[in-house]
Amino acid sequence: MELSYEVKDSYAEIRAAGRLNMVSAPKLREFVAGVVASGSSRIVVNLGETPFMDSSGLGALIGCLKVARQAGGDLRIAVVQPQVQMVLELTSMDRVLTAYASADEAFGDD
Amino acid sequence: MTSVLARRTFRDRAVPEAVEAVHAELDGLWDDAPFVPDMDRMTFATAVIEAATNVVQHAVPESAAPVELGVDISVRQSSLTATISAFGAAHPELHGTEVGMPAEDAESGRGLALIRALVTTVTFTRQDGTNIWVLSRDATPKLPGGPGDKLGGLGL
Repeated sequence: MELSYEVKDSYAEIRAAGRLNMVSAPKLREFVAGVVASGSSRIVVNLGETPFMDSSGLGALIGCLKVARQAGGDLRIAVVQPQVQMVLELTSMDRVLTAYASADEAFGDD
Repeated sequence: MTSVLARRTFRDRAVPEAVEAVHAELDGLWDDAPFVPDMDRMTFATAVIEAATNVVQHAVPESAAPVELGVDISVRQSSLTATISAFGAAHPELHGTEVGMPAEDAESGRGLALIRALVTTVTFTRQDGTNIWVLSRDATPKLPGGPGDKLGGLGL
């Protein structure tokens, strides 16, 4: 998985390209923790290039959400692909990790 | 049981990289069986990866030899079947047959419930020191006369 980030006006956008599974999940956790530690606690994870996520990847996103909230921010996801949306719905985690159509819209309401 | 139209097998040390190799086998299987609908690929691949990951994360060696992960995936006209084996693993501690989703803030524990939601049947057996999971998913039914209605089953 290739991870990169860009600090925008009101949030930091993290791009996660590749499969989010037990191999890449620890990398995502470490990467997001680093971005939050650098001062950006409002995080959007752009999953537009993430064709696959398993429960390990979902667990990592939940862990990253906690890290962002503990720092006073939040974590939202955007551009979710069909398999990832399926996993979110089957685990009922779509109620916690709401998917936005674009990174810009994720924090568009506040 | 109908004949096997495509098949892939894998066996190697049960380490995280093995999960990536199973992903590659699944991609190869869909290349060999392009008639399998996207929905069936997506759900079945997710279940197989969850089960393989479970072996890598939780299987405990029964002896000094390391646990090996085996995956055997078959495509038939009316079903997809995967046998996921943990060779040389101790008997797992199974906590009952009712597996639900954990609390919303839990960061693990969703794998088995997810597998059950994705496939039609899940069976577990232990044979000759090997823990064996068999996952089976019936083909998504097609509406008569619909765009995918050829010979039914997996779109054949």
